[in-house]
Amino acid sequence: MKILLAPLDPVHDAGLKLIKRKLEVLGYQCVLLPPDITVEEIGEAAIAEKVDMIFVGRTVGYGVEQLFQRVKEVLTRQGVFSKVRVAIGGMAVNDELAKALGFEGGYGPHTSIEEIHALIERDPELARHITHPVKNKPEFPFPHDYEVKIPETKKYLDEIVDGILDWVADKTSPGVRRAQITESQLQDVHGSVAGYTALPFTKDYLAQCDPSVADFFQKNICPPSVRQITRQEVDAYHRRIDIAKKKFHPRVLQHGRKNPLVFIQYGTGCPMMDGMHIKVAESWGADGVLHFDPAWGARTEGLLDGFLTNAEDGTPVTYANLSLIKRSLDKATLWSVRAHRGLNTPEIAVLAGFLGAGLTKINIVYGSICGGTDPARLTVDGVEAVRIAARYKMPFDIPTNEELAGVPPHKAFAGMLIMAQLGRRLGAKPILKPLLCHGPYIMVAGLMEQNYVDYNYAKIRALQTIADFPIWPGEPIGFMTHDEEKVKSAATTALHAALCASLGVDAVTTASTDEAFSRGPITSAGRAAALHGIEETFRFFGETDIAPGAHVKDWTDQLILQINQTLKAVAEAPSFVDALYAGMLGNKEDGVYPGRAGKNSIITSAPPKKVGRWDLPSVPAPKKPVVTGKASRPIAVVTRRGR
Amino acid sequence: MLNARDTIVDALDIESFLLCESEKEAKELIAKLMQSMGFARHVIVSLDFNGPGAHFRARAYMNKPGDNYTWLKK
Repeated sequence: MKILLAPLDPVHDAGLKLIKRKLEVLGYQCVLLPPDITVEEIGEAAIAEKVDMIFVGRTVGYGVEQLFQRVKEVLTRQGVFSKVRVAIGGMAVNDELAKALGFEGGYGPHTSIEEIHALIERDPELARHITHPVKNKPEFPFPHDYEVKIPETKKYLDEIVDGILDWVADKTSPGVRRAQITESQLQDVHGSVAGYTALPFTKDYLAQCDPSVADFFQKNICPPSVRQITRQEVDAYHRRIDIAKKKFHPRVLQHGRKNPLVFIQYGTGCPMMDGMHIKVAESWGADGVLHFDPAWGARTEGLLDGFLTNAEDGTPVTYANLSLIKRSLDKATLWSVRAHRGLNTPEIAVLAGFLGAGLTKINIVYGSICGGTDPARLTVDGVEAVRIAARYKMPFDIPTNEELAGVPPHKAFAGMLIMAQLGRRLGAKPILKPLLCHGPYIMVAGLMEQNYVDYNYAKIRALQTIADFPIWPGEPIGFMTHDEEKVKSAATTALHAALCASLGVDAVTTASTDEAFSRGPITSAGRAAALHGIEETFRFFGETDIAPGAHVKDWTDQLILQINQTLKAVAEAPSFVDALYAGMLGNKEDGVYPGRAGKNSIITSAPPKKVGRWDLPSVPAPKKPVVTGKASRPIAVVTRRGR
Repeated sequence: MLNARDTIVDALDIESFLLCESEKEAKELIAKLMQSMGFARHVIVSLDFNGPGAHFRARAYMNKPGDNYTWLKK
């Protein structure tokens, strides 16, 4: 096939030159006319060259409609338009406009060569992978050997983990018991998950809960900011989501690289608003999403149930809410439900595992010195949650947002590495989640006065030097560098993402452009804007890396030294829990203190017994609960346990 | 049939640059502008006054989390 390429511009013909090069690679014979020609000359060239198709390009957008109408008139008068197929293109042209004007098709600045090929051959299948891309869920995290490479670090970590497992061996808690009850109930309904929106009420369960949770189930009293979502709302929401799924064409943000995968956090308070934000984020390229629950949920013994919306930040974790969100997800989207910081840690891990969340989040250290939960209680619950994560094959990430309170990175990282080694010992896949932030410690020490690159670089390099664990900076990247101004906010997120790409991390959690805005809920448009910024920045850098500055090596070495000093101190403490109370992983001077929620709630079940590293007690099978209410299946939308 | 406002997921942002002589004046003008467009409930997301005036982004919420969302109406 012979194609005539005609630029209708005084000087610009770069677009058509590009098309010519690519079409010739595909085997087409092309004739490119010079710029500054008349419409009549295009027709004359088409007749002289006996071409099969003409591409007329016009870079300047002003007045294109009138111009192309004239092109059609002249070519028709010359007898060309009826014999030769004509397509048009340019900055202000798209296929819709071209067809409306009577042309074969149109191409704009974002049209791929595959789409032009499809236009020439009249075969949409040639561009289907571009116009209708398929995104598959990646195996995440990517392969790692999970080995601690520095012998001294490994020695301390193993000693600490031995001590943790010894310490928890004879202890349980109301949170662990509720997790066992819930897991037993869930096993009971396995196979009928689709129609199941609430769990049966049990006297055993409520015996382990706060009175406010009992009031919810028995007296229908919701927490102050919570309301029940009606069946009509849920049905209407499902219809909306189904429409969105039909029109969904995922974008891929990474430009040539495999990683980092890009996650967003959701937790607007409402699972339906979350679902809509998730659809926006997926559409603009997010690879995964993380569920954030309300702060009060972490301080309350027991979970609510049913479809619930919260007027403040954080979406209540209930079986029904998680089911609703799961139904909203694209098949390729990775999903994490955080469990890590409160009194319901093991139970949330059970729900997450059972509902197929691929990931969860557990950090005993952060949750107990910064999240408000008693260190002893969260150690018992956290170990159980890690066991649950291992049982459900859910990798868990270990956030270190205690840096936001002022804890120095080396202490936060020491705690994170303890959790990671604990996770490996219990057969789980831990993921390190360093916070890339302009946090209080860094500000006071002046470590980012020159730039945001070098200290973050050193933090990641230190972790990569110590061990080969997956690394997923968050939460979100660039914390405390964001601005209320949208472009600045998108830019700092995107540049932190580019730095992470350079450092070869597995994934990043990114903020919306509303990250620094605190006078109202974040918006879906802010999510799309931040993802646009990341896409463009990944495009800009491609596979080119950011080079480290002069301070990076010293800072990396210093961090490794400080991490080892911290781990040594923790290993020498009477126990890990004592170390938490004593502030070895963050203290009041740093800005954190041991939490109080769940204090004195530990139940010692038997005399302490020593457990060797390779001789762990088997996890007891969940016991069947005593069901005192009627387990209603199928469950109504606003079902209570036993109501 | 939904009207256009009902299709907005959460909020409508208006960004522009207005001529004024102070940040205080900018805030007053933005309030008048938003009210004149029928957005009684609005917030200023960002405001940067310098030289000839202010670069601003104002936001009117159509649907906040937990509302009865307009986009769920038939």
